[in-house]
Amino acid sequence: MTFFRLFVLAVVMTAVSAISGLGIHSATASPIVINDDRGTVTLDAAATRVAVINWGLAESVLALGLDPVAIADPQDYQKWVGKPDLPQSFVDLGARAAPNIEALRNAKPDLILISQELDIAYDKLSDIAPVMVFSIYADGNIAFDSATDAFRKIAKATGREKEGEAYLKQVDDKLAAYGDRIRAVLGPDQEIAVANFYSPTNIAVFGSPSLPGSVMKQMNVPLAYDGPVSKWGFARGGLEILAPLAKNTLVYTNPIPDTVRQKTWASPLWKSMDFVRNNRVYELPVVWGYGGVPSGLRFAELLTKSLENGPTQ
Amino acid sequence: MSTQASLSTPRTTANIPLILVAVLGVCGVGVLLVDFWPFLSNGMAAQVMFSPDETDFQQLLFHYSTLPRLSMAFLCGAGLALAGAAIQTVLRNPLASPTTLGVGAGVEFALTVFILIAPASLALFQEAFALAGGMIALGAVYLIAAKRGNATLWLILAGMIVNLLLQSGTQIFLLFNEQYLQSVFMWGAGDLAQNGWDAALFVLPRVVIGMIAVLALSRPLDLLALGDDTANSLGAKVTVLRLLILGFAVFITASVISAAGMIGFVGLAVPAALRIAGLTRSRDLMIYSVLTGGLALLVIDFIVRQFNGLGGDVLPTGAATALFGAPFIILILRKARIMPGAQSNDHPNDQHIISKTGLSLLLMAVLIVGVVFSLFTSLDGTGFAVLGWTTPWQDSSLDVLTGRAERTFAAMICGAALAVSGTLIQRVGRNPLASPEITGVSSATALAIIIALAIFGVGQRADLMVIGAAGGVVSLIVLLALCRKFTHAPHYMLLNGLALTAILGAIVRIVLTRSGTQTSMLMSWLAGTTYFTNMDEVMIVAAVTAVLLITAIALRRPLELASLGTDQAVSLGLGISVFQFAMMLLAAILAAAATLLVGPLSFVGLMAPHLARVAGYRLAGGHLLGAVLIGVNVMMVAEWLARNLLYPQQLPTGLIAALIGTSYFLILAVRNR
Repeated sequence: MTFFRLFVLAVVMTAVSAISGLGIHSATASPIVINDDRGTVTLDAAATRVAVINWGLAESVLALGLDPVAIADPQDYQKWVGKPDLPQSFVDLGARAAPNIEALRNAKPDLILISQELDIAYDKLSDIAPVMVFSIYADGNIAFDSATDAFRKIAKATGREKEGEAYLKQVDDKLAAYGDRIRAVLGPDQEIAVANFYSPTNIAVFGSPSLPGSVMKQMNVPLAYDGPVSKWGFARGGLEILAPLAKNTLVYTNPIPDTVRQKTWASPLWKSMDFVRNNRVYELPVVWGYGGVPSGLRFAELLTKSLENGPTQ
Repeated sequence: MSTQASLSTPRTTANIPLILVAVLGVCGVGVLLVDFWPFLSNGMAAQVMFSPDETDFQQLLFHYSTLPRLSMAFLCGAGLALAGAAIQTVLRNPLASPTTLGVGAGVEFALTVFILIAPASLALFQEAFALAGGMIALGAVYLIAAKRGNATLWLILAGMIVNLLLQSGTQIFLLFNEQYLQSVFMWGAGDLAQNGWDAALFVLPRVVIGMIAVLALSRPLDLLALGDDTANSLGAKVTVLRLLILGFAVFITASVISAAGMIGFVGLAVPAALRIAGLTRSRDLMIYSVLTGGLALLVIDFIVRQFNGLGGDVLPTGAATALFGAPFIILILRKARIMPGAQSNDHPNDQHIISKTGLSLLLMAVLIVGVVFSLFTSLDGTGFAVLGWTTPWQDSSLDVLTGRAERTFAAMICGAALAVSGTLIQRVGRNPLASPEITGVSSATALAIIIALAIFGVGQRADLMVIGAAGGVVSLIVLLALCRKFTHAPHYMLLNGLALTAILGAIVRIVLTRSGTQTSMLMSWLAGTTYFTNMDEVMIVAAVTAVLLITAIALRRPLELASLGTDQAVSLGLGISVFQFAMMLLAAILAAAATLLVGPLSFVGLMAPHLARVAGYRLAGGHLLGAVLIGVNVMMVAEWLARNLLYPQQLPTGLIAALIGTSYFLILAVRNR
């Protein structure tokens, strides 16, 4: 079966290259070589029909002004990532953990972007089009740096390096400006702790390798938590994990289930924390914490507005 | 006619249970001393217990976190062990536990739904909701099993079915609410962390009321332990008593689980261990279970706490308890006869709707039509699509067909392998409810893959296959070592499987709490998905299955004898144990092969042989082939539904297969009433 498929593939490939050799497309374009997580990927020409199976990569492609032809989990993207807006029409690939192969084939992509979690399906996907693997989150990665690196490579792969650099320059300027605004509100001796409440006794505190942590470093805003973190850039524990950070300012992220908020806020330990007593707890609207450069910028923007709007209650 | 499994009680001069409690008591005091030390040394112990200094965070933390956690650990351990003791005595089965009866799954389902959709205004009702979930699950189990001759057997079967149904429901719910997964998983892994006295004050009265009730009922319980017939003749209203005791045991369990999450091992192991240690009277067993369970969880939780913060992460107590405890299952239950020896299974009545030949032909026809249908049709969002007809044939159509063939054949081969595996195990073990995972080899295979994937970050499918196969081989060697005397081969296999399955469950729960964006992929693999397979793998597993199926059919005569029962078979001059063992080995290899291909999906291995037997395939050879036909068909249908039901979503095939299987058993159960 496999040999038969390879044979068919070879026949098709020969036919395709023969047709393209006839000069329908300008054959003068030099091949594009890009180093991804697996090694080197060579594209004959800049990709125009990109399929994305990771939200961080999807928003990066969109930020470059290119509409992806296929996107995984688009409904949840609208709910959890929000911006940039999805294009008018594209192929819905279903879940990111198992993108629909037939739908992907129908979209006729010339480049597929995935993150490392889907590496296990690499062979299947690369039957359809060249696949690039970019991991923003991996051991030892600084999220914003690896997101920027992936962004540049995607820009190169899609032949939009100029647009990419312009976008990154704009991000730098905005981050600096947001940083100034935050420091103006924050006060001289305050640092910011960013936390996500999974349950009243299970709390994640973001460290410097995480997207929030690395974006804040870029903004020159001091991050309170400086301890050990997991692969995903945060540390987990009960409320006691917030105790050493209590003299600082706390920002908690959404989504947070209503029941979790209610129970946590009622706890005597929570009430005893300095940031609660001194009214320095801020809420952040939903922002994708595992995203790319655009999510990093959005985090900075929302953090600034949240601090400027004042604490919750 | 019951699955009664008696525990032999060695005569001992020393009072082992008392020594056990004393040792645990000393450890418990040690734990308290270590935790209290910072305050004992400066004479603040009393203050920190009753009125902590509001400005000293260490005192607050101790008063509102450590102290309630210590109380919760003891209360939960005591409650679960008592509930386990009561359930084991009522069902006369040393492997029964609150989770066996669907209570755990019921509470988990209710809480998952609650966490995901309930508004804050209902937060106060969370525990009540969880309690209701557990009670309804038990009610369903009891309704299915009530008024049957073999109530004990049916309770276990009904519990298993309800468990599977609820777990599938929970998984489907989670797959579509990915962003909240972490909230649910941490609770699902059994988290004893506290930040106030609410949970402890919730559990305390409930566990105490439950304990008093169960202890008050423990004298009649001794009558129950003699068996239905004896108890009946003594005038005890067996059913009412059974229901009352089970009800209170579930009440305790549901309260504990809803407050602290899934901590399953204590309820199973503590009473079983105590019984082995020589406690036979249920009142003694209960009292000792309370003390032993409470102290054991207190000590285990202390050890677990020492790991918190390591690598910026926490270790959930429930899963860690199972991890520590699973190896002890083998030690504790070595003396328990779980596989009924001389007892034969309940013979299902043949359903003579259609002749066997007719049925075989029908199944073959469905198979052929089904394969063509699976390959050429799909639902593609716009509606029903037929390749080459409603959608035009194009260059890529062959690739589409190949892709569908890979997945359809993978599902079918997996169905065949599990059907053969299940038939062998049900025949050799003479247990109509046995299924392939009891050998533990598929668990070991899955375990190796999960660890490689989630902890060591191995991402290549081929590497994972090799690692999984290695895990399966290692567990086979362990099996060989454990069963070298052959005398109780099926029995040791079961223990092996039980321990490995418990370890797998525990590690999976820990891994799921910390796998970030990888979680949903792990979940779908664990539920059984054909998404990642390729044709080479399918061919290899198909070849293995074919060879082993032919071997099994060639051995159908000794297999027939083995199903008759040890006594007859031995008197017929058959080396029964060696043969049983060899058949179990075949079954284990098949289960491992299927696991490599699509993940630990095994319900079809229970269902297909059962259905084949009910449909009238009585003799071993026909039973094997009938089961294969049924297994292949079921998986083929499940696979098509998984790919197309919610297009473009690709559901795990195992989830659909489990839903089909549980519906079948539920219909069967209701119809047989």
